[in-house]
Amino acid sequence: MTPNTAALRIEDLRKSFGTLEVLRGVSFELLIGEQIALLGPNGAGKTTLVRCICGLTRPNSGEILLQGKAIASHGGRDAIGLVPQEIALYQDLSAEENLSAFGRFHGLRGSELKQRVEWALAWTGLEEQRKLRVQSFSGGMKRRVNIACGVLHRPSVLLLDEPTVGVDPQSRQRIFTMLSALREEGTSILLTTHHLDEAESQCDRIVIMDRGSVAAQGTIAELVQQTVGNERHVRMRVTEPLELPIEGWQFDATSPGVGSEQLTTRVDDVARQLPLLLQKVTAAGYSVAEVEVHAPSLHHVFLHLTGHQLRDT
Amino acid sequence: MIWTVFRVSLSRLLHNRVELLLAFVVPIAFFSIFAMIFGKGMGSTQTPKIKAVVIDSVQTAESQQAVERIREIPCLRMLDEHDKTRPINEQQATDLVRRGMVTLAIVVHQRVVAPVLPAGAEARSMPGVLTAELLSDASDQVASQVVTGLVTQALMPNHIDLGRVDPNPLMVPDGVRQASSMEPISAPLVHVVDVLAADKANPVISMYAAGIAVMFLLFGASSGGGSLLEEQENHTLERLLTTRITMDQLLLGKWSYQTMLGVVQVGVMFLWGWLVFGIDLWRHFDGFLLMTLVTAGAAASFGLFLATLCRTRGQLNGISVILILTMSALGGSMVPRYLMSETLREAGLFTFNAWALDGFDKVFWRELPVAELWPQMCVLMLSGAAFLVVSRLLALRWESA
Repeated sequence: MTPNTAALRIEDLRKSFGTLEVLRGVSFELLIGEQIALLGPNGAGKTTLVRCICGLTRPNSGEILLQGKAIASHGGRDAIGLVPQEIALYQDLSAEENLSAFGRFHGLRGSELKQRVEWALAWTGLEEQRKLRVQSFSGGMKRRVNIACGVLHRPSVLLLDEPTVGVDPQSRQRIFTMLSALREEGTSILLTTHHLDEAESQCDRIVIMDRGSVAAQGTIAELVQQTVGNERHVRMRVTEPLELPIEGWQFDATSPGVGSEQLTTRVDDVARQLPLLLQKVTAAGYSVAEVEVHAPSLHHVFLHLTGHQLRDT
Repeated sequence: MIWTVFRVSLSRLLHNRVELLLAFVVPIAFFSIFAMIFGKGMGSTQTPKIKAVVIDSVQTAESQQAVERIREIPCLRMLDEHDKTRPINEQQATDLVRRGMVTLAIVVHQRVVAPVLPAGAEARSMPGVLTAELLSDASDQVASQVVTGLVTQALMPNHIDLGRVDPNPLMVPDGVRQASSMEPISAPLVHVVDVLAADKANPVISMYAAGIAVMFLLFGASSGGGSLLEEQENHTLERLLTTRITMDQLLLGKWSYQTMLGVVQVGVMFLWGWLVFGIDLWRHFDGFLLMTLVTAGAAASFGLFLATLCRTRGQLNGISVILILTMSALGGSMVPRYLMSETLREAGLFTFNAWALDGFDKVFWRELPVAELWPQMCVLMLSGAAFLVVSRLLALRWESA
């Protein structure tokens, strides 16, 4: 199987709960050894999609293909590992006991089980705490055991739901180091997260979902090109609040405008356009206190695609 | 600030239906149950009727009259009151008591008294005195005491005023001395024979052990079933269902564990009873083991049923406390069922406790052979299986969406 083969392919997946359409024809693929971030505002359908993939929810239509083969619409799948957002462990058991139990639930027995538990304890850096109860662990340690319980059976596709919620930067770094090791062994990872910086820095590609369908997908560069383009965001602070609009200055959507000391706009060519902007401000009688130029980020792409409105429903 | 704390606490109570139920409905429910038990049964002016059977072993006109008077005693309910054509013998009566079909069997006898007269007095025959043996089941400790006086009255109506109970009513004339080989003339007319407890060490203890054990089996099973809801709440259940384990295996695993735990729990309790209170465990071990297995299995199924019925652990705690305490009160774990009215006794048959306790009662108290346990075992096994099937159906909601 070549690296470009899809470990997981989702084709036109649809799911409704009563009259509520939660998935409206979702399609994307995850290549072998690839790490994809699945982003989307609350209620976009990410959780339902993950539940469909791991067999907890039965889709109304569409196909889920694992390494090219369609899988049953329901029931557990050996090739998939699920790491839920919650610490889904037996808190009153030790790390070793939890690993052993979940290894058994995934069908491991005997020496293979023992060997995988040892591997997981080393992988998570919890060899010395193996006998301690999980409830006595820090948030980061619990997260690491939570992830390890989902990969003991060597799944080819790992589904991670917010794996770094509530952990410190050190633990977060450790978790991504652990995931990198898995990817080197060929595991494909689908990660849902609200940490856009994490998605940007750790994932090969991004899939952005909104209102039950895929709004955009690709690398960061592709998404930027598809949505906000290559414009740079310029923010300037002047010493006094603006009394009138500055002639020739085009405010962008995020600019506070007249009455504020902040001026924002977008430029295609920083070297050519920025000196002209500075001249206009000076000519209008204001002194420039600060200038910032930002390249478009995933944050801009995300807001561009999903809007600024709260999604509480 | 104090007012805010008060308001927050009140709002939380009003939002929690189970807590409201526990605070207001459960006390009223329990008050009502115990009021019914003690109000219509023990302690009321109307004594519950005692199931009895009467045997006339003398068959004289006098004894037949006495038997008729016994039949008319208001607190007795004769087993054969609708069919007197098939008289039963003493052995059959003993068997009826042993099996718990009747609480008392009253056997009317005649005792011959041969007085020894002073020297020179002319010997004359003396008529026989009607006496009675009360073959009783001492698990009902009240019945024989109530009936003794009333039967004495029925045997000697001319010697005793109605309503006055005197167990030694015969007046012996001055100067009359009894032969030492004869029973004294002043011996009680009614003799109580405990047909069940005569050769047992502390038999009542086994009934209390069973009563408490069954109640705690149910509490244990409900708490064990709660682990399923705990797994659902912390998403472990969802995770488990993505592994190779199926819901069938999960439920059966929990059921077998809970059954095993229940067997050990009851076993430990009876071992303690054997060590400290002298329960005759080993002579009845086969019956004990069978009853313990089916009771623990049925209780485990009931625990799973409650867990799958409830949405949260809070709900489960509330509902299980209400149900288990009600079942224990009605089923005889708290108050012996013989103290209850007929209606409550019948209502008790809808509970686990009653069937389980009847089974343990047959094993330890009545000492019946294991084959006699079939009604209790059938009811417990069938209800256990039914609860397990319903639990499986209710658990479908966690599997598919």
